[in-house]
Amino acid sequence: MNKENILEVKDLHVDIHMTEGLLTAVRGVNFEMKRGETLGLVGESGCGKSLTCKAILGINDRKCVPSGQILFDSEGLGKVDLLSLDQKGKEIRSIRGKEISMIFQEPMVAFSPMYTIGNQINEATKLHITKDKQKSKEISMDVMRKVGIANVEKRYNQYPHEFSGGMLQRALIAMALVCNPKMLIADEPTTALDVTIQAQILELMKELQKDFNMAILFITHDLGVVAKMCDRVAVMYLGKIVESAAASEIYANPQHPYTRGLIGSVHKIGSKKEDRLFSIEGTVPLAMNLPKACGFYDRCDVRIEGLCDKAEPELTEIAPGHKIACFNCPHEACRAQREKVEEALAKGALTQSPSEDPGPAKAVPKKKKGGAQ
Amino acid sequence: MNKDNIMEVKGLHKRFTSKGVTVKAVTDVSFSVKPGETIGIVGESGCGKTTLGRCIVRAYNASEGEVFYRTKGGEELDFLKADKKKMKEIRKEIQMIFQDPYSSLDPRMTVLDIIKEPLKANFPKMPKDEMDQRAKAMAEKVGLNPMYLMRYPHAFSGGQRQRIGIARALVIEPQIIVCDEAVSALDVSIQAQVINLLRDLQRELKLTYLFISHDLSVVEHISDKVGVMYLGRMVEFAPAELMFEKPMHPYTEALLSAVPVADPTVQMERIPLKGEIPNPANPPSGCYFHERCHYCIEKCRTDAPALTEMPDGRLCACHRAKELNLKGFVYDEGAGAAQ
Repeated sequence: MNKENILEVKDLHVDIHMTEGLLTAVRGVNFEMKRGETLGLVGESGCGKSLTCKAILGINDRKCVPSGQILFDSEGLGKVDLLSLDQKGKEIRSIRGKEISMIFQEPMVAFSPMYTIGNQINEATKLHITKDKQKSKEISMDVMRKVGIANVEKRYNQYPHEFSGGMLQRALIAMALVCNPKMLIADEPTTALDVTIQAQILELMKELQKDFNMAILFITHDLGVVAKMCDRVAVMYLGKIVESAAASEIYANPQHPYTRGLIGSVHKIGSKKEDRLFSIEGTVPLAMNLPKACGFYDRCDVRIEGLCDKAEPELTEIAPGHKIACFNCPHEACRAQREKVEEALAKGALTQSPSEDPGPAKAVPKKKKGGAQ
Repeated sequence: MNKDNIMEVKGLHKRFTSKGVTVKAVTDVSFSVKPGETIGIVGESGCGKTTLGRCIVRAYNASEGEVFYRTKGGEELDFLKADKKKMKEIRKEIQMIFQDPYSSLDPRMTVLDIIKEPLKANFPKMPKDEMDQRAKAMAEKVGLNPMYLMRYPHAFSGGQRQRIGIARALVIEPQIIVCDEAVSALDVSIQAQVINLLRDLQRELKLTYLFISHDLSVVEHISDKVGVMYLGRMVEFAPAELMFEKPMHPYTEALLSAVPVADPTVQMERIPLKGEIPNPANPPSGCYFHERCHYCIEKCRTDAPALTEMPDGRLCACHRAKELNLKGFVYDEGAGAAQ
């Protein structure tokens, strides 16, 4: 594990066992996060971004089985593979909520309506920092002040229904930050909020990130929010990362056809009015019984027949920090990959081509076994 | 009523009373709509934009005010005072598309039945064959495969369901469509498909849209004119580009500055708003926005500004609109959307 990195996700798969068969929602995701940086995980619903971050914390539903490696540089335990830990054991509990914490999408749902806000923030303090009631209350109140909640003494004893959406999201952030985590996972933290409140919360998160020196894994489908918040962006499609690069690079120079489509389908305020938005045809396929092909094949406008529908491209670095998974890219590294695969295809080594990523190759027979159809 | 307009809303009020508390959801809203236009209505949650849309289709009965409407036959009438028989006539011409494509379709009806239902209700004497034919033709027009019309809604994805909702609204050939957050629940790539579809249908069928949304970039793309609402009042009503480039109301300015733009090179300076949206049951005195406004003067605390016409033809409800020089988006002539 690289010293600079706080988290490394290697070949992560998440399988969901359903009555209809096995659905591989995450199909070999690789990424790493440096200390203090913000990584945006972007994609449409169903692309596996939420499952990826839940796998990090080990809070997936029992039906979702993760495999692969998630290396985390923990203060207490040193370098650990989070997936190898017992998901109900002591070790993961000392990391969950203390070193890695999470902000959820809907603040209204994330809080229990039965307990006061203070009580719920206090829960983490009491568990991880101090058993002393008075002290933990002070710590909790302090964090509430930091996230911009006014009149903390009164607010501490109020219930969630007495808070507005924006205030509740602040309280949720306070709850996540109370143990001074090194890494924060934010799963669509502002999707349920109005634009003016959203702007406040985003600014708050940026400020707190500096104060706490946190790494933030920011999950969203809103490309505007990504542009505002993130240092690096990883675009996910159908359980895989198809492109990752610095935020400025991905907007200025998107390479993967899906990224291009995604950016093109959002109207940019302030740009000249275009008559029609660029739109990607079709819909995201269900990640069940997938053929061994590029997941984007059906919707792609630059697909190569006989290649993209027969093999799956790997994530290849085309410039420092800029990786894409596409055969039809003029860059050298991609061309090399393409030639290699074409050669393998010509030899008829369709199913066990050595140049292929071992991840999906493993996953395909699994799926066939579990597939109902 | 002006000859050019298809609809004129004048002094519309809607109050809800519950347990002795009256909430003014919509207060004194006036605007006019020309045929073939798209009017965008924006504002934060709770500002009354949905209530306004519902008053216009008369799903709610407005408390006060007038909505003049010109029918296809050229007849002018006050929609809110029309009797039952007239109402039925008008309902054929104003339809609505709802936000949530999951809950707005009856799960126990086939898609064909869903699309046919408005025909059954409004043209009970139409022969069955014709109904089927019309529904199928409309389904094809919105991009649904006619083969799948005997299926139930659960078999369709969100984007396709929204297409079913659109087909249902259009099958009786209305003039005006009220789209209440019609694309908000969809993913971006699907959103773009549906927006393009709405635009194509508008050209083909000469539709007028009232597009209610909280997403300012969608509204800017689709609308000819935009109305901004705050706490039940319309604070500004202007042609889209004019408003986004040079807002005149301080609330519009703050709202625009908060929009995240999908381009990291664009860094807008955000104008922070003080406090939170006041309780609509107990709105502030004078201008509803004065407590949060940076340009507030003594007059704003006592006098509520009316929506008045500005020199450039737009409507704005602010005492200081003419003297303030507010910031909007800088329109970049050369660059189109990122491709």
